[in-house]
Order: sequence, then structure tokens, then C-alpha cells
Amino acid sequence: MSAQATNEAAQPDLSAIARPPQVLNNRGPLWVTDAVCSIVEGKTPLWWYAAISVSGAFAAMGGACILYMIVTGVGTWGSNSPCFWAWDITNFIFWVSMAHAGSLISALLFLTRQKWSISISRAAEAMTVFAIVCAGVYPAIHIGRVWFVWFLFPVPNNYGMWPNFSSPLLWDVFAVTSYLTVSSLFWFAGMIPDLAVLRDRATTKIRKFAYGIASLGWLGTARQWRHFEMMYVLLAGLTSVLVVTVTSIVASDCATSVVPGWHATVFPFYFMVGAVYSGSAAVLTLLIPLRLIYPQLKDLITPSHLEKVGKLLLMMGSCVAYVYVMELFFAWYSANPFERGAFWERLTGGYSWAYWTCISINLIVPQLFWFKGIRTCLPIVFVLAILANVGMWFERFVIVTTTLTRDFLPSSWGEFHPTIVDILTATGTLGIFFTLWLLFIRFVPIVNMSELKAALPGTQPGHATGEGH
Amino acid sequence: MSRHLPVAGSKDLPLHALGARFDTPEALIGAVGALRAAGIRSYNSFTPYPVHGLAEAMRLPKSILSFLVLGGGITAVLIALSMELVPSALIYPITVGGKPVNFSGLPQYVPIIVALTLMISAIVAVKGMILLGGMPRLNHPMLAWDLFAKDASRGFFLSVDAADKQFSVAGLTELLENAGATDLAAIHEEETE
Repeated sequence: MSAQATNEAAQPDLSAIARPPQVLNNRGPLWVTDAVCSIVEGKTPLWWYAAISVSGAFAAMGGACILYMIVTGVGTWGSNSPCFWAWDITNFIFWVSMAHAGSLISALLFLTRQKWSISISRAAEAMTVFAIVCAGVYPAIHIGRVWFVWFLFPVPNNYGMWPNFSSPLLWDVFAVTSYLTVSSLFWFAGMIPDLAVLRDRATTKIRKFAYGIASLGWLGTARQWRHFEMMYVLLAGLTSVLVVTVTSIVASDCATSVVPGWHATVFPFYFMVGAVYSGSAAVLTLLIPLRLIYPQLKDLITPSHLEKVGKLLLMMGSCVAYVYVMELFFAWYSANPFERGAFWERLTGGYSWAYWTCISINLIVPQLFWFKGIRTCLPIVFVLAILANVGMWFERFVIVTTTLTRDFLPSSWGEFHPTIVDILTATGTLGIFFTLWLLFIRFVPIVNMSELKAALPGTQPGHATGEGH
Repeated sequence: MSRHLPVAGSKDLPLHALGARFDTPEALIGAVGALRAAGIRSYNSFTPYPVHGLAEAMRLPKSILSFLVLGGGITAVLIALSMELVPSALIYPITVGGKPVNFSGLPQYVPIIVALTLMISAIVAVKGMILLGGMPRLNHPMLAWDLFAKDASRGFFLSVDAADKQFSVAGLTELLENAGATDLAAIHEEETE
């Protein structure tokens, strides 16, 4: 007895370096199920109807603008010569980039066994899928004549037409299609066991039927779990590759051209770090209010989790800042008058206000996350996260739109002004995003219950801490 | 039948399995060990989350899904390569931007190969998981057991198939109760129309 006591006393105190708990207040698996399901099962709150009316109205307005553009022509947009790509591609890159943090959190952090990401992975993955949907609005319609969109795909046809596989624009088609497919599958397949829980708990016939169909008859047998876990690892691996490839390919659209300001090998890296930076900010923007609205989530999505996303934002934001500086250095060091001219134009030209907005936000906002006081103060983090996305939108605008207005010949210089159709289409994508987000939090379990339960202390035989394997 | 068990499903239909509920994953794994020791081979377990060590206790083989996905991935590479090279290098060789159209220009075909491989592999992974897991299915005899249908997100369940050679209700009832089963039920076949 006494030997054991001495042994215990000799144990060093590890509490200071212990991992923060996955779930606060020692909540057990049953509590997790009830807390997550109660969001879906409770009465639809009034704010939800109000919010979805607003976002739905914006989405409908966006849809109407797209329809108007299709029946009238791209002249309804502000795009012109030389600025052939304007808000369409700016917004496309903005949305598709934002998606990346979700994949990184749900796939890459899963593979590297960062258990803290379990609580937020479902929501982050949902953000990914919805952001890709918003991005997907643009590629088809920006070609102008939507009915020729099938030219993009390798469809055997009697015109003898075939896409140019060497073109980054075609790489884009495949990259974005595969990104949407893979992340939707990852999101949905990971949700099947949780949908089955909702089916089992359903009290009405309609719910039972709907969740029954959606969960595909999942029963949680050992065989199903065995294949499910294998699938999850495989999909996480595949999705992790996408985190790097998709924005790299999108960046190649610009980098493989000869336009001064675009023609740089740093672009794939530049776009990827910017993507994870803006995506981390978007995750924070979405999750902080969610915790306020549903207090039961406060024990699941803990301040420690949000702080870690904040650190991710800091790291990626610092990479972005590095590229901003290097870009200017490359322009100077290249000794290429056109390259230098393009950047001088960015710094001092007609659109310098956009450049300086982007620079001042993206250089300052992430650096504030060095301070623990700021990183853990959620209202400040919320504001900073929104600012970061504003900054990233301006970055995309500066890269895509303003670069095009100045190229080699002064005679071909021009200006871009968005039309009302441009603006309403852009706000329409915001509406689509938030409508999908609201539907998500209302009808689907927003936390990955089964994965979380499997990682909780005491839920695994023989592993007192649940940290096994 | 040694004692009266709750009945799930219609009594007129043949017995499908004997169902048992356990409170903890340890008890479930213990029961699986007891079943195997008794020579039972046809049984199934149902858990609300993946329980470590359960599949090993059941002697389930490693999932073959990774091989299927590898096959899907290799097929995708071949599809993508032929889709790009046949038209661009053989049928309509048009030089764009000075890039060689034949095999020496292979790097330009890589991004689409990567994208298509990821997409097809992911589809195979999900489709494979669904089919290997015996899904989609609309119903299951176990769901006729009220306790299971309502409680599957909490309890740890086991079903011993009536088709097993060693199946006997009396013997199994005793075995499962000794292993710590909190509830037992006779699960009958589901009605088919």
C-alpha cells in the first residue's frame, strides 16, 4: 500500500502539458447525442425563419440576375476589353479559396490525428461544400453563352471539337468538378451514422422516412464500421491532396499567362495559403455565432478549438504577408519594365485604394492573433475574421481585375466598374451560401457525433482516456 | 423455449436471430468472446460508434476497400491518360502555345489526371463502403425490436443468427445473460411483400 502511495507521489505533475479536454464539463456520449440532436429536433426558432427569408431573398435576386444576364448577354456585366475577367472570376476564386480551410480541417487534421478538429470538422466541411457551390455559379455563366458550356467537357461530337487539355482553364473545370464531388461525398458519407441516429430518434413519420432514406439503412454493425473507417481514412487522404491541388490549378489560370502581375511561379503557393487563411476566417465567422445561438455547443466547440483555428489563421496569414513582400521584390528584381510597371500601378494607380485595403487588412489582422488576449476574445476574433475575408476579397479583386486593366500597351488600358447586375450576383452568392448554411444547421447534425463519441474518455474498452491508438 | 423472451416482429414468421443489449463496449466484447468460445460463428454486433478491438474480437478481416479504391484510382489514371492523349496527341494534334502534344508534353496532362483520379477514387470509396456494408437497405429485422430501434445510439447490441449450427435459444439466453446482457429478444424475420 505504502509503496503504491510513494509511486503515485513520484509521478510528475503533467496537468500543465495535458491536452485540453475534447469536450468540456466531462460530458459523456449520451449528452453529446442529446445536445447535437436537440438542435435538429427542437422547434424551428423564429430567427431561423427571419434569417432564411433574408438570405433566400438575396439568393433569389442573384438567380434573377443570372437569368437576366443569360437572356441579355454578358454586356450586363461591367466586364470589358481589356478587363475580360472581372467580378465573375474574382468571386469564383474568392469562394473556391474559402472552401479550402474546411478540407484542411476535416481531412488533413484528421490524418494527422489532431483530435481537436473532430468537433468542428463537420461544420467546416459543410462550409467547404457550400463555398464550392457558390464558386460553381460562375465558371459556367462567365463564358457568356451558357448553352455552349458543354464545349468544356470532352463529349464526342460531330463538330470534331475537343477541349484543349493543355489549357489551365480546362484543368480548372476538372479540378473544381472533382473538388465538389469529393468534398460532397466526404461530407455526406461521414454523416451517414449520424443521420441514422436522427432516424432512430425521429418521432414523426416524415422525419423517420427522410432520415431513413438519407442514412441508407445504416445499423452500425461491426462490418459497416470497419468499411466506414477505412473509407474515412481513404477519403481524408484524397481530400488532403485536393487542399493543395485545386487552388494550385486555379492559380495556374493566372500564372501560365504572360500578363505582368500574374506571370509568377509563386502563384500556386500564394493562392493556397491565401485560401486556408480566408477559410479559417470563414470557419471562425460561422462558428462563433453558432455557439451563441446554441449554448449546448459551447462544451463541444470549445474556446480552445477556436483558438487553434486562430493559430492556423495566423500562420497562413503570415505566409500571405510574406508573398505580398516577395511579389514586390520579384517585380523589382526581375528588372522587367512591364512587371515593375504593373506593381507600381498597383501601389499608386487608380485602384491603389483596393490594393492598400487588401494590404493593410491582411498584414495587420493575422498578426493580431499573436496575442493570446485577442485570440481568445471571441467578439474580437469574430470581427477580425470578417475583416480577414473582406481583405481576401480585395486581394482577389486586385489580382484578377485590376491587373487586367493594365497590360503591355497603354493604348489597351482600361477600367472596370461593376454594374448593378455584377453586385447583385455577388450578393446572390452570399445569399446562396447562407441559405445552405441555415438549412445545414437546421436539418443535419452539425457535429460529427460518432467520431466524437469514439474519441471521448472512457468510451473505448481498455483506454481510460480515449486517447488510444 | 426455456423462458419467455420479448418478441420482435411477427411470431408467425421464422426466427431470424436472438438479440441482446449490453450497457458497455467491454461487456459486448466479452460476449463476443464467449460466443466464439461456444462455437458460434454467425452473429453481428451493433454499436453507436466504432469500438476499438471489437472487429478484432469478431475476427473480421481487414476491409478490402483500400484495394478497390486502388483499382479505381489506376483505372482513373488510364481513363484520363487515354482521354487526353488520344485526341490531343493522335487524332487532332494541334500545337498550342508551343507545348509539345506528344508524350514529351506529358506534364501538361497531369493536372487532369490528378483531378480525375481523386474524383473516381472517392466515388469508388463511398460506393464501396455502402455496398460492402450491405447498404442501402430499407429495413432490418433488428429494427422491429423497439428497444433497438429507439436505443441504438446508446446501447451496444448483439444478434446471433438463428441459422448458426450451434444456435439454441436456451443455451444462448444463458450465455448472453452471463456475459452481462441487460435485455434479450427473439427477432423474427421481416415481412416481405
